[in-house]
Amino acid sequence: MENKDSKSSTELIHAEVIAKLAGLGLHARIPMLGGVSGRHRSPVRGSSLEFAQYRKYVPGDDTRRMDWRVWGRSDRYFIKEFEADTNLRLGLIVDTSGSLNFAVDGVSKLTQMKKIAAALAFLAVRQGDAVGLYCAGKEEKTLIRPKRNAAHLRLILDKLSNLKAEGETCLAESLHEAAEGVSQRALIVVISDLFVEPKILKDCFQHLKFRKHDVAVFHLLDQSEVDFAVERPTRFLDLEGGDPIMADPSMIRSAYHQAMSGYLSDLDQATRDAGVDYHRVQLNDPVEEIIARFLIGRTPKSKGASRR
Amino acid sequence: MNFLQPWMLFALPLMALPVVIHLIHRNRHRSLPWAAMMFLIKANRMNKGMARIRYLLIMAMRVLALAALILALGRPLVSSKLGGFGMGRPDLTMILLDRSASMESQDLQSGQSKRSTAIAKLTELLEQRGYGNELILIDSATNELHPIEAPSDLFELPWTQPTATTSNLPLMMETAIAYLKANEVGRADVWICSDLQSGDWDPESGRWAGLKEDLTDLKGVQSYLLSYGAVAKANYSVRVENLKRERINDQSELVMDIFVNVADKSKDANSAESTTDPAPSVEVVFEQVRSTVELTWGGEVASLIGHRIPIEDSQQSGWGYVSLPGDSNEMDNRYYFVFSEPPVRRAVIVSADPKNSAAFKKCLSIPMESGIQHAVEILDPSRIAEIDWDNLALLVWQAPLPNADLATRIEQWISADGVALFFPSDVDAKGSFMGASWGEWLQVDDENLRSLTWWRSDADLLANVGNGDPLPLDELKIFQYAPLKIEDANWVGTPLAKLDDEVPLMLRHGTSSGAVYFCQTLPVTPYTSLEQDAVAFYVMMQRALEQGSQSLSLASQKDARFGLTEELKDFKSVELGDKTPSPSERGTLPGVYSKDKQWVAINRNLSEDSDDLASVEVVDPLFEGLPYQRIEDEVGDTESLASEVWRAFLFFMAFVLIVEGWLCLPEKTSGPKLKTAFSSTKS
Repeated sequence: MENKDSKSSTELIHAEVIAKLAGLGLHARIPMLGGVSGRHRSPVRGSSLEFAQYRKYVPGDDTRRMDWRVWGRSDRYFIKEFEADTNLRLGLIVDTSGSLNFAVDGVSKLTQMKKIAAALAFLAVRQGDAVGLYCAGKEEKTLIRPKRNAAHLRLILDKLSNLKAEGETCLAESLHEAAEGVSQRALIVVISDLFVEPKILKDCFQHLKFRKHDVAVFHLLDQSEVDFAVERPTRFLDLEGGDPIMADPSMIRSAYHQAMSGYLSDLDQATRDAGVDYHRVQLNDPVEEIIARFLIGRTPKSKGASRR
Repeated sequence: MNFLQPWMLFALPLMALPVVIHLIHRNRHRSLPWAAMMFLIKANRMNKGMARIRYLLIMAMRVLALAALILALGRPLVSSKLGGFGMGRPDLTMILLDRSASMESQDLQSGQSKRSTAIAKLTELLEQRGYGNELILIDSATNELHPIEAPSDLFELPWTQPTATTSNLPLMMETAIAYLKANEVGRADVWICSDLQSGDWDPESGRWAGLKEDLTDLKGVQSYLLSYGAVAKANYSVRVENLKRERINDQSELVMDIFVNVADKSKDANSAESTTDPAPSVEVVFEQVRSTVELTWGGEVASLIGHRIPIEDSQQSGWGYVSLPGDSNEMDNRYYFVFSEPPVRRAVIVSADPKNSAAFKKCLSIPMESGIQHAVEILDPSRIAEIDWDNLALLVWQAPLPNADLATRIEQWISADGVALFFPSDVDAKGSFMGASWGEWLQVDDENLRSLTWWRSDADLLANVGNGDPLPLDELKIFQYAPLKIEDANWVGTPLAKLDDEVPLMLRHGTSSGAVYFCQTLPVTPYTSLEQDAVAFYVMMQRALEQGSQSLSLASQKDARFGLTEELKDFKSVELGDKTPSPSERGTLPGVYSKDKQWVAINRNLSEDSDDLASVEVVDPLFEGLPYQRIEDEVGDTESLASEVWRAFLFFMAFVLIVEGWLCLPEKTSGPKLKTAFSSTKS
């Protein structure tokens, strides 16, 4: 297993990936509160061409927005409201614990995480959304607040390319901090191997939902970790710096599978309960497919993939 | 359990190979960076119960499979009869085969006798297990050592064929031990095949103590007793006694008593009840004429006393036999008899004492039966050279014991079935004969007169009379006696009468043929009241004379034994029955032989008819403290003494490997579920 984590920012995004994702947009599943006009729905009414609803006139309303045709037909005063379009804040929370160094066939979880994060950041900036980056590691706790210009994208990509996975995870703390730290509604994308108890994760996800964030999770878990197809007695080195474990896989395989099965089941339940957009990612999955699956899953069904 | 290739057992430590490989495997581990440590920790915590047991079971199965393979390659032999573990292959195997008549008891269904069953089973065992560098047979008939090339030869060799002889187990053991001592064999197996007949074993004999000591000194000798104690079915045996030719009312007749014994294991030997079986019919064959006679039961014996067969006056001699229908032992179903003119019963009294010699002569001169002639002569010790040894039936010696050449001559005569009665001389005389000499006369005072408290009433000179009444010896008074001094440590004597303090008054010295009696007192006063109580004295002397005269008769009945072969060298066989002996063993099987006017009928020794078997409680102590194993077998039993079971071990190994494979099967439950989980995304 060769770890090739030191990549330049340009290596994180390939032209082929950009091309394949050209027709897809990044959408939030809930209305966003942006600072500028954008392509995402806002909870407040605005002046776009998209009709939202009628409501009764109340004194003080702008008479320019009164629908006179309705008054003519019904002799009642109604205000015609339109959707407001705003931009999106994308918060990328990436796990930088040592376990991300796990690699299969030279592809590590860290590399896969960087590629996914870079692609999402690029997509967001391309459509005028703001992107921020939060590193969830004990050794690496970088916070880059969301901005929407190209130079900011460069900053994020540089940061991603220089990220190193080391130390223990502090994903739960980072999620809680993000829930509290991001003041406005945002799309929070968590990219991690999620080696935390599902019960703790469930609390984190519910905290984020409580703060009205749209939460998506990319779970980096390789098939080899699930199968545990190691044959000989092996000394398992803890990538997060814990004590190594000497074990004969043939003796503990059944128990391992049992533990893994229970974990996945609990995690599945936790994400469902918290309404999290959950995606399991293997190390050999192409990034464009992962992102495309993610984007397609979020495309509003009634309005098509793109309005502009 | 025994192994044909025991050296394979040295490979048994290889059964630890799975454990060793496991340990090496553990120490040759590789290091693997792993992310999902939380599941490993959980799995290790959960792997405490069944999984560990399963792993231990897998390891045990692998060890067992290897052990079974190694044991199978060792070619194991097992037997419910042999038992025991660790019998190595011997350097020498000796077989002591009882070929006596009783060993011919058969299982009627299989047709196998005790002897043939023993040979078949031993042959099979030795072929499977091996017999070392030498295989030696000692048969009871010849008591000689016969080297055997291969176990299968036992079936055909003349020394394993049936005989009507008796066995002498102590003598056979002595022969075996002598060979083992002479050849200093390292590890020897001695197989004794016998039916435990008391007469053959003679467990009371003092020889067993010596044998036991010798066996103890011989290290590495393992004794096996392959015993056949049980008779498959009631067995009848026939015999003829008191055969004589009589002439009554101008008619010559052959008179005989016919007896049939029954040995039935189903009956309690101590039961006094008479048998209720139908009286057996006996076929009497004489001069090609067959007749059937009925016997009547009297206790355990059916008899026909005084059966008469008319014969021509001119017929002075002849032969015939009585036979029974076939039963479990053919060897005792026929009894041959021969007859001839009775010889003159000559007795010589060597004595210088006129009073005693007169008493002897008086008793010996009067025949007990009509038609018998007695000739009694009194000789002074100085006239011994006048004795006609060839026609002498009884020698009564009441003189200083013979020495040197004379003793040798008398011993030769005794070995030719002569009977000698020795009485102490009334004068002090030194000298010894056959390892014994007379002591000083002991005087008994009038107040403490000695009398007999015991005498042998079942056989020999002082046996009960025909109607079962004992001889009137309890009235005998002994005033003086000269105790016999035994000078030879190996001197063997059987007491015939004992005084009240257990001192023997009369003994019979053990000889291979003939008879030698020592009586420690004299018949006349002032020694005893024997002459006065004339009945016992008369009967005793007459019996001795009759016994001695049998060797003079032209027709003689002899017990089958190997030694007769030489005696019958010049005889021609007249009747041999179903079994024809080889020329080297013609004295070992029943039959009739003749030479000139002499007739010899050979029959089994009547002790072979006895169902008196030595119990294991008697036989086992003879080998107590020695490497010894008794194997009780039954006639007709087809189960091998030992059989190879390597196939069972291979089957066991296959079974163990199947179990091991089953235990190693991966569990199917978790894998597919986890794989499908990857294809699902949700929102």
